[in-house]
Amino acid sequence: MPTLVDILERVSFLAAMPAVAGIFFSASLLVVSRDWRLNVTALTVQYFFVVLLMTRLIALEVAAVKGLTGWMICMVFYLTERRASMVDQPAAAEGAALSRRWVMSARASFCLLAMLLVSVAAYTAALRIPLPEVPADITLACYLLAGLGLLLIGLSEAPMQVGFGLLTFLSGFDLFYVALEQSLAVAALLGAVSFLIALAAAYLRAAEIVIAEGGNAP
Amino acid sequence: MIAGPILLLILPLAMAGIVYILLRWTSLSALLAAGTALALGFAIVTLPLDQPVRVWGGRQIAMGETVTFFGRELVLEQADRMAMAFIFFAAAGIFFLAWRFAQHSLLLPMGLALLSLLSGALLIRPLIYAALLVEIAAALSVFALQAEQRPSTRGGLRYLTFTTLALPGLLVTHWLLERYALTPDETSLLSTAASLLALSFALLLGVVPFHTWVPAVASDSVPLGGAFVLTIENGAVWFLLLDFLETYPWLSRHPRFGSLIGAAGLAMAVVGGLLAPAQRRLGPLVGYAALVDTGAALIALGMNSRLGLTLALLSLLVRPLGLILMSAGLSGFRVCSGSDGAIDSLRGLGRQAPWSTAALVFGGLSAAGLPVSAGFVWRWALCRALARSSPGTALVVLLAGLGVIVGVWRGLSALLARPRTPEDQSVVSLGPSDGWLTAGVVAVAILACVGLGLFPQVLAPLAAQIAGTYTFLVVP
Repeated sequence: MPTLVDILERVSFLAAMPAVAGIFFSASLLVVSRDWRLNVTALTVQYFFVVLLMTRLIALEVAAVKGLTGWMICMVFYLTERRASMVDQPAAAEGAALSRRWVMSARASFCLLAMLLVSVAAYTAALRIPLPEVPADITLACYLLAGLGLLLIGLSEAPMQVGFGLLTFLSGFDLFYVALEQSLAVAALLGAVSFLIALAAAYLRAAEIVIAEGGNAP
Repeated sequence: MIAGPILLLILPLAMAGIVYILLRWTSLSALLAAGTALALGFAIVTLPLDQPVRVWGGRQIAMGETVTFFGRELVLEQADRMAMAFIFFAAAGIFFLAWRFAQHSLLLPMGLALLSLLSGALLIRPLIYAALLVEIAAALSVFALQAEQRPSTRGGLRYLTFTTLALPGLLVTHWLLERYALTPDETSLLSTAASLLALSFALLLGVVPFHTWVPAVASDSVPLGGAFVLTIENGAVWFLLLDFLETYPWLSRHPRFGSLIGAAGLAMAVVGGLLAPAQRRLGPLVGYAALVDTGAALIALGMNSRLGLTLALLSLLVRPLGLILMSAGLSGFRVCSGSDGAIDSLRGLGRQAPWSTAALVFGGLSAAGLPVSAGFVWRWALCRALARSSPGTALVVLLAGLGVIVGVWRGLSALLARPRTPEDQSVVSLGPSDGWLTAGVVAVAILACVGLGLFPQVLAPLAAQIAGTYTFLVVP
């Protein structure tokens, strides 16, 4: 059975512009969609492409561990939202109905437009202000992640959306920073930061659900 | 032999676990948390750094011993010693008040865990790890901030967001400065590093326009949890800033250092002073009072002199008294009325909760820097120092304090209003009135606040002593 490192080696041919395109589409989906299933899937895919790009900058094993941390974060989000949807069935049904027609909603249109504007700004920034120590395509990926992450944070006050935004922003920074600082201790602490942000967002989401039910915070 | 840094990191963490298990026993858990923080504070202050001391069971503690952890040094230095003592004593005060005002709250175990992380942030070298530990502390704070039975998650989320946005700047600054050491000709690296550092600390300290997390933390969270963030975590960030200035002295010698810091402080004082009296809830009022206090402290630091630094440090030492008391008062009103602290919903409540009212008033006096309170000590000295060089700024500091006290006065008017008709009585008491135990706890806190206001010689020399350990100042 192939290991994670083997799999990363096999798909390493994607670790250039295809990965940047993957990051663009997954981060865009996070901005536009409010369906938690789509969002968790988009975050999982986003971590995959970020790790692929990281393999060009750091040891494959370290990148694999970062990928595992990211996917554990996605698992935390998945379990929290799954639990929330089970507790809040009517709202979930309404959400599903909304998700079927989200393409038409004014909110989705606004988010799409804002996402396009931020993406253009990120592309321009990548051309005008190249980041040190990283190639041009990774610079573009960093700017896209940071910009779309900030947009996500600004567009919502819902814990999970803000959590997605913070983690997208941090992924963009991490992708740049691994080229500058390759210390394992820093990598471990940045991983801990990401995981704790995910836990905090999940805790706040759980608190919202429990309080909506009329109980105390978890 | 136990090294001091290990003791300061492990003991609060271990006690956090024990306190979490004992959380259902309110008095035991709160007093255990307060006792741990108090004991560690005394250990930091009293145990010598240069020689080991024999304690219980013949074991020795060497407070000044350097510990290597994953290749990074942890060392308790003279400058950090007082900073550490400050965060432990302030935490003890918060835990003591949490005994009566935040029962069964996660503030106690999380607060102890945060003390361990913040100790690590102040002890570890290089500073890049301190930035990461502060970020981890911010993420953990969310658990302490989220209030039970309150749907709003805004306070914790905003704080986490702004702290996370500050992280990249601090980490990249470290790399830029390392690179500058190798290529001293590239002076553009220094200006980029200074800009990133300024932006990061502006986010962490809530400088306008990045201040929105401050009122959010104060209003949409457990009030004493908000006070923990605004005093202890904010205090740790201040000491981290001073460590950066000490490590990279060219920062404070930058020609625009004083004016930039002073302008940031002035903007905070103006915004806080204008918005505080306009608040309809007591929570944001506490936040804007903290904003004014931080702004005035930044103005003091911007003086770039020994006196200014002493006043900024004195503000850090006395700030907990004002904000903790205000937060305790707000907690009391929330429990008593079941409201979110809206001023209109508190009419007549002052008679049912006199000690919560007293806590709000004395805390407000201190946060506004008015006489017979701890806050007056440094605010008056700041105004006198500024009156000579910059009378306009001194006036703004005074007016900002006035803005805070107008906000407190509005709250007090509602609290003491006598309902004329049964319909006019908007408050239906949901909880018990202040008991004698609560009265005792609040009375001790008020006495400490007033006592420090009347006898500033207790803390002022300590602030001067801490300021003396920093050498980055342009005007000694």
